This record gives sequence, structure tokens and C-alpha cells, in this order.
Amino acid sequence: MSTETSQPNPARGTPSDAAEGMSVVARTQGQIIRRRFFRHRAAIGGMITLGAVIILAYSSIGFGPFPGWWDKTYYSTASVVDGGRPTLSLLPSFLGGKGLRWGEHPFGQDNVGIDYFALVMRGTQQSLVVAFLIGIVSTAIGASVGATAGFFRGRTEAVLMRATDVIIAIPTLIFAAILAAAAGRAGIVALGLAIGAVTWTGLARLVRGEFLSLREKEFVEAARAAGTKSRRIIFKHIMPNTVGVIIVSATLAIAGGILLETALSYLGLGVRAPDVSLGSLISLYETAMPTRPWLFWWPGIFIVAIALSVNFIGDGLRDAFDPRQTRVRD
Amino acid sequence: MTIPSDPSMPSEPSKEAKMSDRPEARERARHVEHPVNDAPGRPQLAHHLDEVKPPSTEEILRVEGLTVNFPTDDGVVQAVRGVSYAVREREVLGIVGESGSGKSVSSMAVMGLLPKSARISGKIIYRGNDVLKMSPKEQRSLRGRKIGMIFQDPMTALNPVYTIGDQLAEAVLSHETVPRKHAMSRAEEMLALVGIPQPKQRLRSYPHEFSGGMRQRAMIAMAVINNPDVIIADEPTTALDVTVQAQILEKLLEVKDEVNSAIILITHDLGVVAGTAHRVLVMYAGKPVEVGETDEVFYRTRMPYTAGLLGSIPALETASGERLRPIKGTPPSLINLPPGCPFSPRCPLATDVCIESEPPLAATDALDHLAACHHWDQLAESDDPTVFFRAESEVGR
Amino acid sequence: MAVFMARRLVISIFTLLAASFIVFWGTSIAGDPMADLRGLQDEGQAQQQMMARRERMNLDVPVILRYFLWLGDLFTGDLGVNKFGQSVSGILAPAVSATLQLVIAATVLAIVLGVTIGIVSALRQYSGFDYTLTFAAFLFFSLPVFWVAVMLKQFGAIKFNDWLRDPTIPLPVILVFAVLSGLAWMAIAGGSRQRRLTALGVAFVATAGLLWTLSETGWFSDPGLGVIAVLVLAFGSAAGVTFLIAGFRHRPPLFAALATAAVGFVFYLASEPILEEPNWGLIFLLALVAIAVGLGIGYLLGGLQRRQAMAVGAVTAILVGGIIFVDYMLQSYGDYYGRVRGRPISTIGASTPNFRGGFWESGLDSAGHLILPTMALLLISFATYTRYTRASMLEVMNQDYVRTARSKGLTERTTVTKHAFRNALIPVTTLMAFDFGAVIGGAVITERVFGWQGMGFMFIKGLQDVDPPPVMAFFLIAGGSIVVFNMLADIAYAYLDPRIRVS
Ligand SMILES: Nc1ncnc2c1ncn2[C@@H]1O[C@H](COP(=O)(O)OP(=O)(O)OP(=O)(O)O)[C@@H](O)[C@H]1O
Ligand code: SF4
Ligand SMILES: [Mg+2]
Repeated sequence: MSTETSQPNPARGTPSDAAEGMSVVARTQGQIIRRRFFRHRAAIGGMITLGAVIILAYSSIGFGPFPGWWDKTYYSTASVVDGGRPTLSLLPSFLGGKGLRWGEHPFGQDNVGIDYFALVMRGTQQSLVVAFLIGIVSTAIGASVGATAGFFRGRTEAVLMRATDVIIAIPTLIFAAILAAAAGRAGIVALGLAIGAVTWTGLARLVRGEFLSLREKEFVEAARAAGTKSRRIIFKHIMPNTVGVIIVSATLAIAGGILLETALSYLGLGVRAPDVSLGSLISLYETAMPTRPWLFWWPGIFIVAIALSVNFIGDGLRDAFDPRQTRVRD
Repeated sequence: MTIPSDPSMPSEPSKEAKMSDRPEARERARHVEHPVNDAPGRPQLAHHLDEVKPPSTEEILRVEGLTVNFPTDDGVVQAVRGVSYAVREREVLGIVGESGSGKSVSSMAVMGLLPKSARISGKIIYRGNDVLKMSPKEQRSLRGRKIGMIFQDPMTALNPVYTIGDQLAEAVLSHETVPRKHAMSRAEEMLALVGIPQPKQRLRSYPHEFSGGMRQRAMIAMAVINNPDVIIADEPTTALDVTVQAQILEKLLEVKDEVNSAIILITHDLGVVAGTAHRVLVMYAGKPVEVGETDEVFYRTRMPYTAGLLGSIPALETASGERLRPIKGTPPSLINLPPGCPFSPRCPLATDVCIESEPPLAATDALDHLAACHHWDQLAESDDPTVFFRAESEVGR
Repeated sequence: MAVFMARRLVISIFTLLAASFIVFWGTSIAGDPMADLRGLQDEGQAQQQMMARRERMNLDVPVILRYFLWLGDLFTGDLGVNKFGQSVSGILAPAVSATLQLVIAATVLAIVLGVTIGIVSALRQYSGFDYTLTFAAFLFFSLPVFWVAVMLKQFGAIKFNDWLRDPTIPLPVILVFAVLSGLAWMAIAGGSRQRRLTALGVAFVATAGLLWTLSETGWFSDPGLGVIAVLVLAFGSAAGVTFLIAGFRHRPPLFAALATAAVGFVFYLASEPILEEPNWGLIFLLALVAIAVGLGIGYLLGGLQRRQAMAVGAVTAILVGGIIFVDYMLQSYGDYYGRVRGRPISTIGASTPNFRGGFWESGLDSAGHLILPTMALLLISFATYTRYTRASMLEVMNQDYVRTARSKGLTERTTVTKHAFRNALIPVTTLMAFDFGAVIGGAVITERVFGWQGMGFMFIKGLQDVDPPPVMAFFLIAGGSIVVFNMLADIAYAYLDPRIRVS
């Protein structure tokens, strides 16, 4: 017999569509999306992890004028205890470990005795800020460029899409590195804006594609025939239908953003000393790998935890908005 | 559930006899038949059933109590709930029904093309052997060799990256060990048979270089290239424009005689069935609800759903000048079907018994005319079964 | 088609020019090109050097003009000098080949592995294999390349080289690998329970047996294939190729494959004089001869399945050639191992400094330097290719024409390898074009981790020095190779999809 494709053939309408269509209580679009999202277990796990990381990073060492609960700072040095080994222990004593213990320096200390937990938390804060900035900036630019090109067509579209092509011609990391070289000196906000300014091209193309196809749909035609203003058509009729694509890709932009920022910081082009990010920490301590490996492990684990969580959330959102869309990392 | 003892036995009373039996039916027949075949937008068949070779008595394929379930996240979809029929050599069996009634799923089960998740039971007997009990290898050797299939959408049913000739020859080569050249010349013959000009050159064309009608012809050629006993045509003309529809149907009938095969013609277009099928099986919610000779089913309808279908042919004016109305409502969900007649929520004749128990497919007043309806006799008493739908829609207004 | 490609090329070149201006401008404003001179003790000397540099970099004219000056020089074939006055083309030449080797190796491997695994994953949707791969892909999407590269350096090189001193594999490790391989093969085999359990058992025993033998015989301290292994591998690949391309229903393709493998083996036995000290030209020539022989054998033995037999013959010939190539390279492993003092996997640079050796030894040397950076780079694309191919394959398997293929009574193998596979590759070609840029970006990072003095190094240094000419040279090579890769992707696309050939 045939090999499986146990997925219901979409052309026939999935059985759940049928079931939902038949049921007496019609669900709203929002409810359906929420229900599908919460069915995605990895996405829920991602949300919990990401939430935990954010809370840990900001509550522990505090931020701005707000103090945190952790008594050490990421800049004050102290004497190095026990070769700077981490005191964190997660293995209960009956399993042969040291018991569940937080200790004096849970993540250890670096060579001048700075508490590494505080340092990693600081790096996490900075990396998160930059990643979210990248997400916001690239989504804003990508959505506007794509929407403008897709809606107005003609000359506007040609100019915008040519410009997008030019930017795509420069590999993302290269372009980001060039802009970050200048912006990185000006602090993390400038860095986030600069990287966001080069990572929007994929979204612009996606949104333009959505717009082109939505333009031709009856309800837009009808609105246009009724003399509705372009702006109103865009915001009232087309935008709501592209929200899914935009939200999903904003999420993935954040995941890509944290990898890009940490890579640039690793290369010395992103967050600069004396400030730290998860990437610059790895660059600082990569040579410590053979002797004090924890200095290398912790920041990496946090990068992976954040990126993986965000990617899972993105996958859950995509499933919720459009179960049939596929994904590419740019 | 009652399975008819043998729905396939040739019916004895001739058409003439039936007609003269009931003058009023004959009267109405003029009203219905002409509209069905002459209504604007209907394919004009030059090549009528009367002109093709009659079916023989040799039974080729018999389906008994076929059920297909799909387990899904939301429950088990009962796509087919007990379908039985048989076809004989050169016979055309029409299967009609609304979208989602299980027509495709039941024929895909015969082809062995359902996804692995499908749970199939019942019997599919090809020349005395149960297909469902065969090894995958034996099943494969039936597919495309003994049972050919034509699909609905010719635009997507051909592989865009291989030439027509390659795709046709492949059908031969997968069952016979012959030189490629030989298979290619068979392909060329078949293209000529289905009426594609310059077949030799066309072998080298890609599907995108063909028009929709030509692609469907190529599909027919592909389905019959191994002289199958049965051709399953799943809505072969739905995606085509009207003039092409007629040509394709005609070609199909012509080819059938050429290779002596039976045809199972699936459609939701009654006009297509009227001109081409010897017998008709009407499906609703995964079950046959009316089976019989085409004329019987059309002129002496014994099931309100069929009547509704007849009534819903668009732009059709009846003798009294009333406009016919489509059946209201939608078919039931195939998950958790309620007890009772599945058509009852939409049926103008429904009574309490309909809601309580599902009517079996049982004999009606005419031999071999089976219907699944508690109140088929009410239809028998009325002149024009579609009248119930008209009345209802007028009340609704 | 040619017109279409030419048009694309012209557009690409203009796009590249526009992009090059952005790069030039971005680099020029990246900071202060004099930074390194400002701290100098000797004020006078600093002044003097600043003057010279200002002159050399045309700092007195606006950036736009500087760009056009650079562009003008470029058209005369001059890449200019960096801010210290060294000729850029001089720095570029040794950097290019190492970096391109790295990038191309990583891309080709990512495509081959990613597409293969993506297809298997799609065909076995919802199996343990599929779920594991899906999770792995998400993990790969989330791993920072530089972090993994550092890990590879630690475990893949330093620890691995240490292990090579006494290369035995502990029993528990063997068992873990055997179980993993068993589970993977079980999922890949699919089908009935019995079939899957057989796959599990066979894979477990084979893996455990192989690892145990390799460990016990100390194979890792002097890896090599030898006559027996070459024989087994040659005939094994003959069978595998036949299965994939033609199936076993008809005999001729199988005979062609086996005959090709036999001819290859005979050649191997007699090849010593030719392959003792070859060069790349000879290897290339031999590859062509191998293909011709494979095609010829297929033609002669093909019978009614001549087309398939020829394809089978040619592919088998290439594979057998590859096996022989690897065997020869491993033959010189012993010498090489001694010369690098027992540390064959390198952590720094693109080749051992001052290493002089024959064809096979320097081949091993490059391989030892390439392997880890390639693995790190693979990470970037591999997951993308798997996910993309998987999605594409799933979509294609649901297409009507695949159903049509089945309805003709084709075997599942033919349906997948002929009808689904080729269609599934079409969207992958667009990814190819797109992905190459990301790999070049990744190469900048990997080169830094592994201390290569390649193009990535040149780029970073140029950027940090606020020195446009080296950055521009990097961009020209990178952008140019992206354009070339795009054209290859276009050609592949046109080959796969007849619908665009006409336009
Ligand atoms: N793989 C599947 N999994 C779950 N449900 C399925 C699957 N395939 C079909 N169905 C369901 O089976 C029912 C019957 O489908 P089928 O395709 O046979 O309808 P049809 O009568 O051919 O309709 P149409 O006229 O639209 O072709 C539908 O409700 C459909 O949703
Ligand atoms: S059984 Fe009742 S509900 Fe069903 S079709 Fe007959 S009359 Fe209508
Ligand atoms: Mg159907």
C-alpha cells in the first residue's frame, strides 16, 4: 500500500476544521489560535524557561535604580576561593552529590575574583536587551517596507525591493559587523538598532508576498470599490491578516538577534569592555576552557537556553497561526 | 445494516416497459430529462450511452460492506460506512453525492491509495480475489494494470518535471519488461486514441505545455495504457470547461469500448451521470442511500436526498415555472454521527422515526432499485419528488 | 534560458556594486583610522605617519569620492593598499584559497547530508528519528557557532589527539553507540514490526561489532582500509546504488553495478604505480575515466534497463573511486602522524607551518586542519537544509502527481526516488543561493576561533583598523562567490524544473 502521509490532506479540509465548523459554539479566531498554541508543549516549555531567565537576570543583580537580591556585583573583585570553582550543586547528597546548594559563588569566580553569577546575569541582561531591540527594529522596518511595497506596487515597490536586494547581497553577519563596528562603541541601544537595521529583509519579502496575494482578495477589492482610503485598507483589512506572519517572524528575529549579537560581541565588534554580554564573556574566557571550563560553559548555556526557548515559542506561534507554513533560518 | 443480496444483477424489465407502466412518470421525465441535458452549462454529449457497446454480464469488481475510518486528534472520522456495489464489463457505474460524502475515499480504498492511517474493512473483490487480503506486491500489480484511475484535477495530477511520454511509458514499464521504445510507441498509440494530435511530437512535451483538456486526455491515456478491466474516474471533468467536459466524457466512453473495461464514474454533476452511466449509486454521509438503474433513480426517485440533488441543478425551470432550490444545510460531521437518518436535519419528509433509527438500504417498489429511506413510499406516491424541496423553500421565503 | 541567466547576472553585478558602496561607507565611518597612532610617545613621528596615512587613504576627500577612487583602481585590476601600505592583493592571495575550501566543503556537505536526512525524516514522519531530528534542528538553530567551535577545539582536537595515544573505546561507550545506531536504523527502516526489530538487531550487532573490532585492533592508531575493506565497501556501495537508482526488480542494473565495482577493485590492485604520487589533474582525469567505464559497463550489460544501468554504473564508479582515494590517503597516515608528533587534528591555522610532503601527506594535512572548522560551519546550514528539505518533501508527497504515480502501480521506491525526490529538490535550490551568504558570515567566526589567517581575519582586522581596502577585497570575493553560487543554483533549478527552461 501507499507510504504514510498520515497528515490529513489539506485539500480535503482537515478533520478538525470539519469538527470545528460543525460544532455549535463557533470559536473566535483568537480562541482557536490560543488553543493551538497552548497545545504546543515545547512552546510552553520555552515560555516558562524564557520567563525564568528574564526574571532571574533582572531580579538577581537588579537594574537601573532597582537593587537585586544577590549580594555581589559584577564589577567588584574579591579573593578567589577554591580556585574559583562554582559552588552551585544540583545533585542531592543521597545521590553522591553535595546536596542542593547555591553557595557563595554559584557560577564560580573569574581570575580576579569577580562573582561569575553576577557577571553572567549582567551579560544576560545586556544580551536580552539587544535581542529584543533587534526583534522590534527589524520587525518594524521589515513590516513597513514589505507592506508599502506590496500595497502600492509600481515604482515604489520596484525601488524598495531593489534596495532590499542590495542589502541581501551583503551577508547578514558581514553587514551587521560593519554597522556594529561603529555602533557598538555607542552602547547597547545603538548596537540593537544597528543590527535590527540589517536583519529585516526576510520579513519584508514575506510581508510583501502576503500583501500581494491579499490585495487580490475579494474583501479588499470590495473595500477599494467602496472608495475606502488606502491607509484604512491597509490597517483595517490587510494588516490583520498578516499579523500571524509578522508575529512569528518577530519571534524568530529575536532568536536570530541574540545569536548575532553574541557572535559580534565575541568578535569584539558588539558590546565592548568594560560592559559585558554573553558573547563577550565567551570571548574573554575561551582560553580558560582547559583550566576553568565553567567560565566558558555558563554564558553559552544561557545563550542556548534563550535562543532555544524563543525558537520553540516561535514554532508554537507558527503552528497556531498557520499550521502549514514552513520555516527557514536566514 | 442491510447489504443488498446482489445489487448488480441485470434488471429485467426494459426501459420501455417501465415508462409505459407509469405515464405520469414519463410525462415528468420530459421535464427533467431535458433540463438535465439541455440546461445551459451542461456538457452536450454527442456520444450517448445508447451508442456504446452494452455491458456484458461478467462481474469484474465487487465491493462489499466497505468501511473506512480515519483516527484523528478529534475523534474517528467515519468517511465510508458500508458501501457495496458491483460493476460488470463495459458497464458505467455513476457514484454521485455531495462533497465529503466519501466518494473519493471509497474509490481510493479500491486502488489501495489511502494513507496508512486509514482503517479499512469489508471486501473488495476483483475477479474473485479479495484485494484487501493480497500482499502489497499483488496489490501493486493490480494498480494501473487491471484498475486504472483518472483524477479530478489534470493540472496537478501530472508530474511537472517529466515528459508526457516518460510518464505514460513508465506505466507500461512498471508492469511489463519490454524495451523502452516499445513502451513509447504504446504511449503514442494511446495519445492518438484519446485524440491528441501529433502524438509522436507530443510525447516529448512537458505537462505545462498542454492545455487542461489535453492533460486530462493524457491522464485517460495513462489510465488505459495497460488495458485495465476497471477505470475509476474521480470527477474527471470537474476542473474543465463545459465544452471540454463533453469531449472528455465522450472520449472516455469511446476508450472504454476500445479496451472493454468497466467505468466507475464519480461526480457530483447529475447531468454527467444522466448521459453516461448505466447505473447510479447515490452517497450521503459515507453510505449509499439510493442505488439503481440510471433512469430508475432519476425518474422514480425513492430517496429525498436524491430528489434534492435533482432539484438543486442550477438555473433549471420546471414546468410550473417555479425555480428549484438547493438543499438547505450542510452534511453532518463524520465524527460522532448521531443515530437516525443522517439526512434527517435537512429532510422535508423527516419524522420522529427518522431521528431515531437509521434506515437500511432496502428494496423499493422496483426490482434492483434500493433506497435508504423510511418514507420512500411517499416519494413513490408523488408525481415529482423534487416538489418537496420546492415547497419547503417557498415556505422558507 | 541563457538570456534569463545573463539578465540575472547583470542585475547581480549592479546590486553588488550598490552593496559595495554601502560596505565602503560603513567601514570608513566605523571609527578613527588614526587610533593606533594617537597614543605614540614620539609626537613628531606620529605626526609624520599620520600625514603619510592621510595621503595614502585619501582622507582629505569625502567618502563618496574615496569610493570612486577605489572603484577606478579596481577597474584597472588594482585592489589598493591597506593603511599600512601593504598591497591588498598580496594579503588576499594566500587567504582566499583556504577560506573558499572551507566554505565550499561546508556547503557541499551541508547540502548532501541535510537533503538526505531531511528526506528520510519526511518519509518517516512522526517516527522517533523524525522527532529526534526535529529537536536536533531546533538545538542547532539555537547554538552559537563560536561556542560550538571552541567546544570542538577542546573535545574534537585536544582531547581526541590525547585519546589517539591509546585509542581504545570503553565497552559502555560502544554499547551506547550501538543502541543509538540500532534505534536510528529501526526508525529509518519503518514498515512492519518484524522489519523494524530486525533493523534494530542488525544495526546494534553491526555497530557494536565494528567498534569493538576497531578498538581491539588499535585501528585508530593507524587507520586504513586495506584490500578487504576496499572490496567490501566497493561491492556494498554497488548494491546500495542499485537499490536507490534502479531497485532489484530487474537484474541488469545490479550486474552493471557489480561489474563496475569489480573493475574498480582490479584497478585498485594494480594502481600502485599510478597513484603513488599523483596530482590533482591526474585524479580528475581518473575520475572522468571511471565515469566513462561505469557508463560503458552499464551500456553493455543494461539490456532493457540500459538507462538505469548506465546511471548505476557511473555512480558506482565514482563511489569506488572515492573509496580508493581515501584508502591511498590513509596509507600515508603513519608517516604523517609521526611528522605532526601525534596530533593529527589541528586547532590552529589552515595548514601546518613549513609542512612539505607528497600529494597524500599534504592532503591529510589539509584534511586535519579543515575537519573541525567544517564541522562548526556545517552547523549553520545543516539544520536549515534538513528542515527545508523535510518540509518540501512532505509537501510533495501530498501532491496529486505522487498519488498518480502510485496509481500507475509504481513501486514505492520509484515513486519516492523518481517522482517525489526531484520535485522536492526544486525549492531547495533557492535555499542554496540564500544560504551561501550565511556560511560566509559563519566562516568569519570559525576562522577566528581556529586562528586561520584567512579572508575572515582580513575582514575583521580591516574593520577594526577602519581600513576599507582589505574589507572591500573581502567583500568582492564573498559577494562574487555568492553571485556565482546563485548562478549555480539557477542552473540546478533550470535542470530540475522544465517549466522555467523556456523563458
Ligand atoms: N486522510 C484523511 N484523514 C481524515 N479524514 C479524511 C481523510 N481523507 C478523507 N477524509 C474525510 O473523509 C470524508 C470523505 O472524503 P471524500 O474525499 O471521499 O469526499 P468526496 O465525496 O470525494 O468529496 P468531493 O466531492 O469533495 O471530492 C471527508 O469528510 C474527509 O474530510
Ligand atoms: S429516512 Fe426520513 S429523514 Fe431520512 S431521508 Fe427518508 S424521510 Fe428523510
Ligand atoms: Mg472527491
